[in-house]
Amino acid sequence: MRFAILVLLLMAGCASAPPSPSPSASSSSTTRQPAPGSPPPEGITVKTESIAVASILQSARADAASGRLANAAASIERALRIEPRNPRLWNELARVRLQQRDWAQAEATAARSNSFAGSDSELRASNADLIAQARRAQGK
Amino acid sequence: MLRSNGFVRLLLVVFLLAGLALAAWALFLDFRVRHEFEGRRFALPARIYARPLELHEGLKLKPAELEQELKALGYKDGGQGESGWYRKTGGGLEVAVRPFVFWDGSQPAKRIRVSFADARISGLRDAADAQVPLARLDPLPIGGIYPAGNEDRLLVRLSEVPPHLVRELIATEDRRYYSHFGFDLRGMARAALSSVTGHVQGGSTLTQQLVKNFFLTPERSITRKVNELIMAVLLELHYDKAEILETYLNEIYLGQDRDRAIHGVGLAAQYFFGKPVQDLTVAESALLVGMIRGPSYYDPHRNPQRALERRNLVLKLAGEVGALTPEQVKQAQGAKLGVQPRAASGTTPYPAFVQLVQRQLRRDYKDEDLRSEGLRVFTTLDPRVQAAAERALVRRIEQYDRDKRFGAPGLEGAVIVAGTQTGEVQALVGGRDPRLRGFNRALDAARPIGSLLKPAIYLTALSDPSHYTLVTPLDDSPFVWKAAGAPDWKPENYDRKSHGMVPLRTALAQSYNLSTARLGTTLGVEKVLQTAQKLGMQKMPPPYASVLLGAVDLSPLEVAQMYETIASGGFRTPLRAIREVTTAEGKPLNHYSLSVEQAFPAEPIHLLSVAMQGVVSEGTAQALKSWIPPEIAAAGKTGTTDSQRDAWFAGFTGDRLAVVWLGYDDNREAHLSGGAAAVPVWGELMAALGPEPLALSAPENIETATIDPQTGLLGKGCPGAVDLPFIKGSAPKDSAPCAGGVGGAVEAIGRAVEDAVKPLKGWLDRLFGR
Repeated sequence: MRFAILVLLLMAGCASAPPSPSPSASSSSTTRQPAPGSPPPEGITVKTESIAVASILQSARADAASGRLANAAASIERALRIEPRNPRLWNELARVRLQQRDWAQAEATAARSNSFAGSDSELRASNADLIAQARRAQGK
Repeated sequence: MLRSNGFVRLLLVVFLLAGLALAAWALFLDFRVRHEFEGRRFALPARIYARPLELHEGLKLKPAELEQELKALGYKDGGQGESGWYRKTGGGLEVAVRPFVFWDGSQPAKRIRVSFADARISGLRDAADAQVPLARLDPLPIGGIYPAGNEDRLLVRLSEVPPHLVRELIATEDRRYYSHFGFDLRGMARAALSSVTGHVQGGSTLTQQLVKNFFLTPERSITRKVNELIMAVLLELHYDKAEILETYLNEIYLGQDRDRAIHGVGLAAQYFFGKPVQDLTVAESALLVGMIRGPSYYDPHRNPQRALERRNLVLKLAGEVGALTPEQVKQAQGAKLGVQPRAASGTTPYPAFVQLVQRQLRRDYKDEDLRSEGLRVFTTLDPRVQAAAERALVRRIEQYDRDKRFGAPGLEGAVIVAGTQTGEVQALVGGRDPRLRGFNRALDAARPIGSLLKPAIYLTALSDPSHYTLVTPLDDSPFVWKAAGAPDWKPENYDRKSHGMVPLRTALAQSYNLSTARLGTTLGVEKVLQTAQKLGMQKMPPPYASVLLGAVDLSPLEVAQMYETIASGGFRTPLRAIREVTTAEGKPLNHYSLSVEQAFPAEPIHLLSVAMQGVVSEGTAQALKSWIPPEIAAAGKTGTTDSQRDAWFAGFTGDRLAVVWLGYDDNREAHLSGGAAAVPVWGELMAALGPEPLALSAPENIETATIDPQTGLLGKGCPGAVDLPFIKGSAPKDSAPCAGGVGGAVEAIGRAVEDAVKPLKGWLDRLFGR
């Protein structure tokens, strides 16, 4: 009896272990429902900023260039309230955090930018650079 | 002789001592007068502002919503003057925006024209028809942190006060103000006489009244009268008439707004007439002057007739001494009272939110400074979101109370709304009466969170893609958990049934307790609690298995913090209620910056969010579809505790996160479930705000596979197949039979066998106490 149970259990275990890879080749039309989490039609493409955000960014960059870093950060946050998923804004904020020598925030904020960056490789590279700088500064 | 000599000496000594004592007393009073008059002056409350509305092209806003915002700010429809009004213009609005000193500098008054299309702002232009990228309205004052007695005032300079107000004041209260030395013997004599004749007139000069309000307690005695007299004279010695008058005009008590005391003509002009003191007319000034004698007795809201008669008496007295021309008196006496309807807001209309602000402020500021320095605090409160949250909660609670009839005290509730990416708290309701300053359930009610903890369990599992995916079958059969030092734990499903083997995402969507508890014990209670802490839970409850099904008490705010981390893609973003603090003059003191910390990798958070969308699309929060369309794809989790004492829903859309709690303060059984009671509040609130869809963007390391829901295998072509995300390499490799898979057949057999042995497994589990 015990042996039988053991065998059955083993079989059950084997059944859920992945057998040899055999990706389905079927391509017939299906009644597929879009999964709730599938990417939206517009995907994650980076749109150019609205004129509102562009105008804030302009003044933020001027502030950053002249060393008014707190003002620059506050302005970018203001822009983020309008477009919270704009990866360029997060990238811009990470840049200011780096200038503020807030390394941990610079790193996390650049990672945040990456999470919205989609396939924008240029932006990803910029974020990677910011993260590397921030990590170096933290002695990581 | 000797005796009389001694008597004289004694008398001398007594006189000397008395003289010395009097001099010392006068010196002491002098010190007090100078010290308090200069040192204390006026304690000004910290002023708290809502977020300023930022207008820009594309903003989701209807003309009526903008109009409402402007009305709340006191903008007049079709007004005139430099600023503070708006005008409707064929489908749009022209707004004369007031000047305001913001954290990042002052913004001058400006004229803008706003046009709308499809419930959004479609254009923003200035007076010269040039495009305006962004226009910021002045922020709504939402309360203050007040000095003792909740005194509130708006300081004004004497030069800002209209001359007719000063003339009316002097004619009524102290005709010889400019010639006396602090007291007025003729006035006193007249007062004494009038108290005999019954025609009551005060004999105190303005200086004496100021001393009385400023330094003295209200008891009536000779000593007090003498002190008042000495101090009045001292005040006149040290300060000139204009200084004393200006202080008087700022000090004088003029009314009560709930628990807030209205002091000074500056605030009184705002409170009663909705305008700055400069703009007060002859009649309006006369009303304020008249009220000085009895702010409650002559309250124009409660006793309009009495107030009108008093005002006209002031006008008559001012006319008698030539302070006003007969025409002015005649015209003003014919004017209406003109007070604006009482907007009884007390110290704040949003006591729960202001409490959160105060707590966050006290980390950086001394209470005394908050109550006296006139600091300006710019917060994240969005009045439109707050109104929607209050409406939804109050309406539902009233309905549930009617339906259930559990008597008093009634059902209670709390709501928190925050921005998903910024962590800014946009609304906070602490109970069924949002105006009541009292127990703040959003911050201070620690209640068992029930199934709201489950996402922490599933997140722990999904962080290990080699063992868990969204389709991993979980065992939903009964079991008993035994652990040393803890009572046996025998969880049950809400429907008291077992559901066999269920895919992981279904177990979460349907909030099955058995499979979730099994999963949690397999992962380890401590590990799950660590995940909960990384999400933002502050406390560390003892690691009993019962914690897995939510036997941990948290406040709605703590829950919101945990869900915020999920909503922001695994980045812990501290919830904030304050953006900036400046001095009274606008000099920046503190900027509370947006900070993020990556608490979880993007991939498992993405899978969890998709599973939580399942809670709404096919699980326990399906009722939401009555309020928001499925395209919004909201994600969330319901929670219901033992005997339905607490009903929860925590969830997020593309732009906002909200947590709703309902229950009784005395922990009675509420007979309300999260899905049936909390979800409607959430749905109504979000629907009122026009939510953004939750468009989850898949991280790089995520791939999508088409899954057959029956087998959990690859299921292209299978009926009801769904696309689901997997961390790369973790998707099933085999195809279901309906997708023509070979391995699928083996898998299906294996599954059948597994189903067959399930009862045995349950038996084994019980045997070994698993």
